[in-house]
Amino acid sequence: MTRGEHWVRTLLGDAAVAAADGVPSVRVADGTLDGAAWRAVAVVPNPVARFPRARGGELGLDEGLALADAVRGAPPDAAILAIVDVPGQAFGRREEAAGLQLALAAAVNAYATERRAGRPIFALVVGKAISGAFLAHGLQAGWIGALRDPGVEVHVMPAASVARVTRATPDEVARVATIVPATARDIVTFARFGAIDALFDVHDPLAPSSAERAAIVRALVDARERGLGTRAPRERLATDAARRTRAPALDVRDRIARAWQS
Amino acid sequence: MNSVRTPVSFAEATPRERLRALVDDFVEFLDPFARVSSPHLAAHGLVAQRDDGVVVGRGRLAGSTVGAVAIDGRFLGGSIGEVGGAKIAATLEAAPGGALIAFDTGGIRLQEANLGILAIAEICDAIVALRARAPVVAVIAGRVGCYGGMSLAASLCSHIVMTEGARLGLNGPDVVEQEAGPDEMDARDRPAIWRLTGGARRVAQGHADALAPDDCAALAMAVRAAFGALSQHLERLSTTRLRASFDAALGGEP
Repeated sequence: MTRGEHWVRTLLGDAAVAAADGVPSVRVADGTLDGAAWRAVAVVPNPVARFPRARGGELGLDEGLALADAVRGAPPDAAILAIVDVPGQAFGRREEAAGLQLALAAAVNAYATERRAGRPIFALVVGKAISGAFLAHGLQAGWIGALRDPGVEVHVMPAASVARVTRATPDEVARVATIVPATARDIVTFARFGAIDALFDVHDPLAPSSAERAAIVRALVDARERGLGTRAPRERLATDAARRTRAPALDVRDRIARAWQS
Repeated sequence: MNSVRTPVSFAEATPRERLRALVDDFVEFLDPFARVSSPHLAAHGLVAQRDDGVVVGRGRLAGSTVGAVAIDGRFLGGSIGEVGGAKIAATLEAAPGGALIAFDTGGIRLQEANLGILAIAEICDAIVALRARAPVVAVIAGRVGCYGGMSLAASLCSHIVMTEGARLGLNGPDVVEQEAGPDEMDARDRPAIWRLTGGARRVAQGHADALAPDDCAALAMAVRAAFGALSQHLERLSTTRLRASFDAALGGEP
């Protein structure tokens, strides 16, 4: 069982988990946390998926649409919890021909429009969060938590691809990451950009203790009560962390806001 | 004697020429004299550019004051980093009467990886917010086309205008070949790539809305027509419609 599936089950219970309609690689679970309704959504591998390039848990044509429908079709009073464990998008000829950008855009559209209509959207990063897959599943959430664990990884390309593209050795890639933290892959460095609202320690991501689970549930329930699930992505820039690490972006935004007023 | 106007190629124009062609009274924000460039490139041994490859400002379209954005495909493949991404997001967030975005981009700038992805998430949200109250018109008519995370941003726009020579997709042919092998996609087979992802095909599929020739005046007309169109249904993002087309994709090559 992958981290994504495991955490859907851990948080909402084995009995709640079902496959999205016709798409077994998208798991949907409806349940309650502390008495309030939640829908958790995750992408998992499907070795017999009809599109072979999306069998390893990648976001492919079917997965993007199933996510969009799961988000839009959630019970009216449910908050959404995107469980993020996505190695990337599907790389395939058939995908590009059919318009993979639209499948992922449909998911972005669903998350953003539901959030803007007032539905609280949360994300919990429990594994990989790579590139277009993270844009389509997680980054439109108003609140993002993550496990502080070496298996949690945020980047725009799989590590092996970065090495191929840049022709750099792993040591060189690691050296650059110390100078340009944006190229690092670990969650602690990513959290310094202000995009992660809470980090959770778990001794084993595939076997969290009941106390570890309870801490995450408490944080989710608390964040929902405080209305944090409907914040826009740009509000991440208002954090103390972002003021320290995203000063160039804040400066540009400030100057353009003033240019609009003049 | 009839005066036959010589077409002026949009693909060969600079980003500022492109915006001056597409909107009236373009005024640039943070022009090169503001010296706003990326602080992250020197560490990679790259030279920064004094607009970070993104030109933004305000202009007028059909009587409305709009945000105007053009990405410079000639600078690091039109890639989006922290500064360029912030320029786009901030311009869209405060645009009073809609926006025009000329995409020419390979997506997130690898050298600014996670700051680029955060910026694109903000850009996507800004488009969704602005689109609800005014048109956001995408033009994809440059040499690079529109790929990566920015293909999601383009797909969220109210209208997409493309030229036949432009391409739109999530993963560029080089990336697909690299990740999946040359049997999956031959990045050198240019006719096949255009047949699959070029402007004519995207318009035929309904993934883009209008096809225009590679001519500044013709594209400006197409943008005005798109801006004035009442239809804001975003049929292209309908999951029901997309599912039917993906089912058909299983049947074989288009």
